[in-house]
Amino acid sequence: MHPSPDIGIWIGALLTLGIFSFLYGDNPYYKFCEALFVGVSAGHWFVTLFWTVFVAKLIRNVGIGLNTFITEGFSAGLSDYLHWSYIFGGVLGFLMLLRLFPKIGWISRWSLAFVVGTTSGYFFINYLVSNGLRQIEKSILSLGAEFWFGNLILVVGTFCGLIYFFFSKEHKGAFGGLARVGIWFLMITFGASFGYTVMSRMSLLIGRMDYLFGTWLGMIG
Amino acid sequence: MRRVMPFTIVTVTGLFMLVQYFIPREEFEWLYEWTLDWIIVIGCFAMLLGLWSMTYVSVSKVRRKIPGWGYNVITLAGLFFVLIVGFVPGQASLVRGSAFMHLFEYIYIPVQASMFSLLAFYIASAAYRAFRARTILATILLVSAIIIMLRLVPLGPLSAVNQWLANFILTVPNMAAKRAFWIGVGLGATATALKIMLGIERTYMGRD
Amino acid sequence: MDRYSVKMRKLQAFVFFLLFSSIVIFPPDKAFAQEEAEMPASPTQVEASDTPNDNGHSITVKWKLSADDGAGKNNVVVYEVLRSDSPEGEFELRGMVPAGESVFEDQGAKDKQSPNYLPSHKQFYYKVRAKGDGIQSESLVSAPAYAYGQWFHTGKFPVFVAVIAFSAFALAFINLARKGKELYVRPLAGIEAVDEAIGRATEMGKPILYIIGLGSADMIATIASFTILSRVAKKTAEYQTPILIPCYDAVVMAVAQETVKAAYMEAGRPDIYKEENIFFLTSMQFAYVAGVNGIMLRERPATNFYLGKFYAESLILAETGSVAGSIQISGTDEIAQIPFFVAATDYTLIGEELYAASAYLGREPVLLGTLKGQDWGKAVVIISLILGAIAASLHFQFFLDLFRVQL
Repeated sequence: MHPSPDIGIWIGALLTLGIFSFLYGDNPYYKFCEALFVGVSAGHWFVTLFWTVFVAKLIRNVGIGLNTFITEGFSAGLSDYLHWSYIFGGVLGFLMLLRLFPKIGWISRWSLAFVVGTTSGYFFINYLVSNGLRQIEKSILSLGAEFWFGNLILVVGTFCGLIYFFFSKEHKGAFGGLARVGIWFLMITFGASFGYTVMSRMSLLIGRMDYLFGTWLGMIG
Repeated sequence: MRRVMPFTIVTVTGLFMLVQYFIPREEFEWLYEWTLDWIIVIGCFAMLLGLWSMTYVSVSKVRRKIPGWGYNVITLAGLFFVLIVGFVPGQASLVRGSAFMHLFEYIYIPVQASMFSLLAFYIASAAYRAFRARTILATILLVSAIIIMLRLVPLGPLSAVNQWLANFILTVPNMAAKRAFWIGVGLGATATALKIMLGIERTYMGRD
Repeated sequence: MDRYSVKMRKLQAFVFFLLFSSIVIFPPDKAFAQEEAEMPASPTQVEASDTPNDNGHSITVKWKLSADDGAGKNNVVVYEVLRSDSPEGEFELRGMVPAGESVFEDQGAKDKQSPNYLPSHKQFYYKVRAKGDGIQSESLVSAPAYAYGQWFHTGKFPVFVAVIAFSAFALAFINLARKGKELYVRPLAGIEAVDEAIGRATEMGKPILYIIGLGSADMIATIASFTILSRVAKKTAEYQTPILIPCYDAVVMAVAQETVKAAYMEAGRPDIYKEENIFFLTSMQFAYVAGVNGIMLRERPATNFYLGKFYAESLILAETGSVAGSIQISGTDEIAQIPFFVAATDYTLIGEELYAASAYLGREPVLLGTLKGQDWGKAVVIISLILGAIAASLHFQFFLDLFRVQL
């Protein structure tokens, strides 16, 4: 056994054991690890966001944009507006902070409305194309082709699956029968997803065991 | 103004994103790209609100000495230590080998990987509960999962059969159900987006 | 022979000698003659025009193949496309296509700072060079062309039709609903359990935990979760049951606060609204899970809702909630996570049911109307599938092309 001399590895290993102690039950060791993890992760996220977005994008682009505006005025090209368009983004972001002041907090709804509205418009088209038209395009299959049996099952499965998701009619009689076939197909998919994931989850555990017994304690590898 | 303006913004921005999809002109492309960037910037400012919320809740629990308040102290200590280590050196904190990145490597990564690996245990307990084959649906789930799970396992003479079955399941019934699922989700998401844009669904926006 | 004839003969001999020696000393350029004989025929009919359905920074060049491309001398290997902003100016190479192809798209950048910037509304001239092994020939210069953006992308016409059709269906049923027409929707187990689940929490004096998922506010599943949260929060306000909402994203936190506050006001109980119950936890996946696990085991909520966008952490959350003894109602549009929710939670809203939930909970006619629109959309899809299968089996390509979308 050759334990690692690296203090960082020891810290990582002890925290790993703390997390695994959760399997036994909630305990102070796990609570300590959880509390530390939540605090460190939030701090890490904020710092990364600050340097990569706030400084690298917002401050930098606003600076370039202001400089362009001073030197070229409104004669700058559209691509130059990209830089000082960030000022508008910064204003929308600043309006969010007004939530901290109850009397004027309602202004922050404008920024939220911007996010929600943009999302809705974007996904209206996105889902209609990717989940609608593209899936229909791919589901149109020839029943006279070489793989006609597979194609037939694909068409029947898609058909019954869609019947299952009908809200306007109760699942009774022939309609109910088709919906039942639909949920069978869905169960096959869910089972396949489950089976597919098991191996990858096991490999994660093996990775952790390798870290503890190999990297930390030096007992393997 | 307080009530009308947000919904106007929702409708205008929503319709813009919808319309710009069909207009390939440069001006619309630029505006679309700026819009996506503005959302990222809004998220960045909102992070300050998040930090404020986290700090306020933790400090409040410490002040009121709610049971377990000691752990809130640890959370705050972890948070502010990382903030100091991340801001003081400037952008150099993101460079590999910095104290900030060491914290990430030795605290965040091991704990994240450990949490992720807990899934191996949970997937076993979930499988035990789900695969008791008491109903036809549970049986179908069980059989399908077993065939897929064993597809990479050497089973001697059964390997070829199992692999063929696994391949068939993945490419035919699995794909059929996924298509139905995705089409349903597509229609549902599109309807939700339409309701939001037209102001039919307004519950997400506050009122005074 | 007279003296004149002798002189003439000497002169002829001298001229012959001069010619002969010049041929010997300066032989005709055999390589040049050979190369000239081997040069490929020039491409012809070079035409440049604006590339359709683009942002106005691309020009398409077409030409007629060289006669020696795949025929004749068969010595064309590649075509080079050259561009200049004047017919007599210097031409720069813009790209190459292999022999056999007669179209090239000169795609430029829209950013002025880019070295590949191609301004719109500026005239350019093109010529095409057919190249072989050390040999080449050029076409004549094309007529000028300029790039400009279009107002409508014709390749996206099927999408345009789909948008109009779907919106028409939805609006028609919303209209019907507003006129008071009774709209039936089949019962969903997960939705029917919501009231019971909230009632259980009230009886036990325990809070409700609502997880909006790991999506940000710019995801439609998260927005769907907000619409459900509003109805659930209204019920919790009526029953005076606390609701805890740890958030993964700060914008989500802000919207959730607005949603719950409005719900409490609508229920007539703004006094019991507590903003600190809707808080930010962290924006890292497994740190969030660790935090929520802690809340579940310490607060012991009677009911857990998992509604929104979930990833690998879904099983950890659901299993921990199960260990804590909570009733759990889940719903996501991530198909990979549904099996875990089905296995570990009591009720699961599968895919589209998540988006239908707000209509079910509120029972507002206009929302039920959009559900009907969704169902009609599915009916159109089913009809398309059946007709498409028949068309594909009979090789009717036009039907397949109806759904083809150019991006």
